[in-house]
Amino acid sequence: MTARADGSGGWEAWTRRLRLPTVVVFVAVLVGWELASRRYGAYVLPSPEAVVAGLAIIVRSGELWTHTGASLYRIVIGFGGALGLAIVMGLASFLWRPARVVVRDVVTVLNSTSVFVWIVVSLIWFGLTDLAPMFTTFMITLPVVAANVVEGVESVDRRLLEMGQVYRLSGWEKFRAIVIPSTVPHLVAGMKVGFGLALKVSVVAEIFGVTSGIGYIMNYSREILATQMVFVWATVMIGIMLLTDKLLFESLTRRLERWR
Amino acid sequence: MKVEVDAITKSYAIPVLAGVTFQAAEGDFICLLGPNGCGKTTLLRIVGGLEPPTAGEVRLDGRPVLYGGASNLHVGVVFQEDRLLPWMTLEDNVALVLKPLGGDARTRLATARRYLRFVGLQGFETYYPNRVSGGMRQRAAIARALAIEPGLLLMDEPFAALDAQNRRIMQAEVRRIWADTGKTFVFVTHSIEEAVAIGTTLVMLSARPARVRELIRNDGTRDPHALVDHLNQVIMEEVERQQGEPCR
Repeated sequence: MTARADGSGGWEAWTRRLRLPTVVVFVAVLVGWELASRRYGAYVLPSPEAVVAGLAIIVRSGELWTHTGASLYRIVIGFGGALGLAIVMGLASFLWRPARVVVRDVVTVLNSTSVFVWIVVSLIWFGLTDLAPMFTTFMITLPVVAANVVEGVESVDRRLLEMGQVYRLSGWEKFRAIVIPSTVPHLVAGMKVGFGLALKVSVVAEIFGVTSGIGYIMNYSREILATQMVFVWATVMIGIMLLTDKLLFESLTRRLERWR
Repeated sequence: MKVEVDAITKSYAIPVLAGVTFQAAEGDFICLLGPNGCGKTTLLRIVGGLEPPTAGEVRLDGRPVLYGGASNLHVGVVFQEDRLLPWMTLEDNVALVLKPLGGDARTRLATARRYLRFVGLQGFETYYPNRVSGGMRQRAAIARALAIEPGLLLMDEPFAALDAQNRRIMQAEVRRIWADTGKTFVFVTHSIEEAVAIGTTLVMLSARPARVRELIRNDGTRDPHALVDHLNQVIMEEVERQQGEPCR
């Protein structure tokens, strides 16, 4: 009885660790994919092997780095700008109550604006340049990050600020010791969501006008009927997303929460 | 620090304090008692300069307390909650409040450690508040209040969140700290037993709007049990007077 219970316990632990249910679904999808590929042909649905082979090609040719680098460069500028402005907005809403209302309203309006609006507008304003995807990324990620920063600023515990007042901490000291640590976890959460959004949005914006980047090369691959390359670049995007999540944001969050 | 509370009146939507007057000498241990919601905490906040009175004046060593912005009081406050910064270690929490007093970082840290040791937290200096018990957090809050070497220490039911056992330990601890430092303490509590056990001057407030109903010197000449019984009776009278009125 005990042995069986132990055995099943170990089995369950292993199942969890290897995420066996996910793996099962994954394999099923791969098999289905392979079968569908054979049924409908490589133009509609390239086989998994073709995708792996394609990945090997772009790694060897270095295309992987050029296009990924070009996309990341635009994201870093567009998203970085949004991050900077969001922090300024958070600061303003901390220092001045009316600014909080303004920031909230601006965020609401920006949040209800479609990606496509910014793509079209940026094409009109910046033409076929790097600035177009950068601007689109900036406008789309700004409300997401700003909303989080403002929420963080609002979450600052008034009682801790009062404590700072009792002990006559300077304004800067209260800001550094109380406001920043309360806000940063919200900022990081906002960055995490914002970065994911930036990647998705900037790639769409790259379909128009530019001659490098993941969005451009995906669209180009479609035009030259290299469907397998569309899938390859989609895989690359997923990879970037998972990597930044694991390497950047998870370790950042862990570091921030060491006192919990 | 000598404390003079002179005809303090405070009204929000309703009158809370209606001319509270009492004095306490340097080195007194004052306990503010009274029925729930009678304005004990409000009075303490007024004494500490956190909230202005509607009328009246508080003087510390003869100087009136100033309200709003920087003041020149030297007052430490221990709140009902510990109000430690959860992202700072205990020693950093204490060292933080030493910054406005000047001195270099090393001296501040040394002072912080000395006071943590003084309240019995040796060995826990580098712990984060969430890693220690509620009683220990409240000890750290007391260390923080003492570290600025205040003339006056205000405590607002600092042990309300503790269990009975920790509460008794902390009462004895506060009494020892008071005796060792010789400072003036003002301690808000709703527990009559606690007040009689640790206070030298008991200020019993009436039901809202509060006045001083009774001021008792608790210098050991009165039988503590009789005193507790007496104060319990007073508080019951006040509660009956207040009944039907909503609590704040």
